[in-house]
Amino acid sequence: MPAVFILVMSLTLAEPFSTRQPAAIGYAVLDLDSTPVSQALDEQLGTSDVFEKREHPSGEADARRRVETGEAVFVLVIPQGFARQVGSNRTPALRFLLDPAVPYALREGFRQQAEAAVIRVWLAHVLERLGQNLMIPELRRVTERVGPPEIHVEAVDRADGKTFAPPSSVQQSVPAWLIFSMFFVVIPISAVFVGERQRGTLQRLATQKVSFSLVLAGKFVPFVLLNQAQAVIMIAIGRWLVPLCGGEAFTLPNGAQALAALWLLSLAVGAAAVGWALLIASFARSSEQATILGGAGNIIMGAVGGIMVPRFVMPASMQPWTRLSPMDWALEAIHHVMLRHGGIADILPAAAALACFGFLALAAAVFLGRRAHD
Amino acid sequence: MIRIDSLRYRYRAASRPALDGVSFDIGRGAVHGLLGPNGAGKTTLISLLAGLLAPQGGGIAVDGEPLAAWRASHPTAIAAVPQDHAFYPMLTVAENLDFFAGVQGLSRRQRRDRCAAAMAFACLEAVAGRRAGSLSGGLRRRLNMAIGLTGAPEVLLLDEPTVGVDPQSRRFMLDAVKRFAADGGAVLYTSHYMEEVEAVCTDVAIIDHGKVLAAGPLAEIKRGGGPMLNLTLARPLPEALAANWRIRFPDMDVMGNAVDFPRFSADGLAPLLAELAAARVAVERAEYGAPNLEQFFMQLTHHSLRD
Repeated sequence: MPAVFILVMSLTLAEPFSTRQPAAIGYAVLDLDSTPVSQALDEQLGTSDVFEKREHPSGEADARRRVETGEAVFVLVIPQGFARQVGSNRTPALRFLLDPAVPYALREGFRQQAEAAVIRVWLAHVLERLGQNLMIPELRRVTERVGPPEIHVEAVDRADGKTFAPPSSVQQSVPAWLIFSMFFVVIPISAVFVGERQRGTLQRLATQKVSFSLVLAGKFVPFVLLNQAQAVIMIAIGRWLVPLCGGEAFTLPNGAQALAALWLLSLAVGAAAVGWALLIASFARSSEQATILGGAGNIIMGAVGGIMVPRFVMPASMQPWTRLSPMDWALEAIHHVMLRHGGIADILPAAAALACFGFLALAAAVFLGRRAHD
Repeated sequence: MIRIDSLRYRYRAASRPALDGVSFDIGRGAVHGLLGPNGAGKTTLISLLAGLLAPQGGGIAVDGEPLAAWRASHPTAIAAVPQDHAFYPMLTVAENLDFFAGVQGLSRRQRRDRCAAAMAFACLEAVAGRRAGSLSGGLRRRLNMAIGLTGAPEVLLLDEPTVGVDPQSRRFMLDAVKRFAADGGAVLYTSHYMEEVEAVCTDVAIIDHGKVLAAGPLAEIKRGGGPMLNLTLARPLPEALAANWRIRFPDMDVMGNAVDFPRFSADGLAPLLAELAAARVAVERAEYGAPNLEQFFMQLTHHSLRD
């Protein structure tokens, strides 16, 4: 299941958030002005990589139909008199229609895109008029070059300060979902554990003088190893299967130190996830209870820990709380390795914290088990 | 072999003790039946004998030594066979036996020998390679018991070992229990099937509300109940006659058309039949003699439901 999850997440994340491929967020322009100025605005909007232009609607009713059917997420309506407003230096008024389900961030993105395009059109118009008034023909040539600025984005390597091309969204997002999936080992562990308790197997082992801590240790070690195998399979899927399905490949960091750091971190996440799972399993009385407690616990841990919503997007008052979640520790550390070209020293504090969390949870599970036995 | 003396145990938050001064002995070569309604304290007693709980009062001694000390020197000598199928359904029969033998710290050779012996004892050789989860109810019961034998125990604690099995498997299990005792082992056997207990047990202890109501050899126990009269009438006992008899025979038990008189003297039989004839109540069937175990059990524990 985690393998399927990571495949689906890689494929779904690749397109909409990619910085290298045309996005599928469609928009259309309803030009009611039909002037060279309004056509220039239409062209300026078309320079975006984020939004993909669709066919022009035939009228307002067609524009609304396009939004309703999802053919276009946004329709920008350029009103009649737009060119006149630009020419008279009045602030031009535009409208855009959208699907109410469109998230605020996307809506704002498109609004700013439109705003920038209007400013460029208006600036070109001002420069052209100025050139005519001042009899400076060069200004006219400047207006032909007014377009969106070219901005090169470079990421800074924390090791040597050199810059490199920023990682794709797949590189940024997949580690989060990888950590999230690893914590879902709680479901099989609790199913096994609750089954053993209900069948009386744990009781039988107790009569055979097998201590509860040994029973838990007997699950801890194999499940951590299983968790590692699961992580390897998920990474392999991201690396080789996702590109075959048309998605963007997940790339591993270069160098033995980075790979060793990744492996160490994976072991620490495994220890934390399995310790947590054994704690849930030791006080759950039924597999339903364990599934609800474990599943909901993981989702809360993921939500708090910046898996679903990155920490920097959260309100400032919420951001310190992310440090409470072991998923945040793991995510921060994996970003050091995967995105910031960090090494073992960078992830060691987080790996130690995760391992401590796992062993403390295991100790709590032993304590709970013994108390139930007494 | 095992002496249970004034044993007391009370669970946290329980309003009354689960065991309240329980005493009886379990000898070698004997199958000791432990009978009682649900909630009587049977499982608590087995848990104490298996070392899952520690006595809060009284004690358990094995061959004169306190249970905990004896278990320390004989770690595999007491085996509990739970009522549930306490094994791993995804493992095969052989793997289950090997696993449970392995956790007892046996050497590889001991493990192999004990598993082979347990498998032979329970006649499981033909299904050694089958997954435990795919076995029939009878085979599961036999595997459950065979796992208990991997430690070569001297004492076997069996908690309702024949629930849900066919008559052939039940017969096999009962014979196996007898064989174990005949080889010098001691067995504590709990069951709600009275005819089964009568067939396999040499001794019984009947407990209820945490107290022993009767304990000793089965034959003596049954005799201890005294002769019993059971009448099956053609119609329910008339109310006036029933009220009169309740005063004269306080232990009388009426269920539909059946009327039981525990500890009934044979001298009273003729007058009783005459009273029935006078009340125009025909007697369809009359039985007089020592009660069977179920009748004696019901005399002691009464008919009220416990769950």
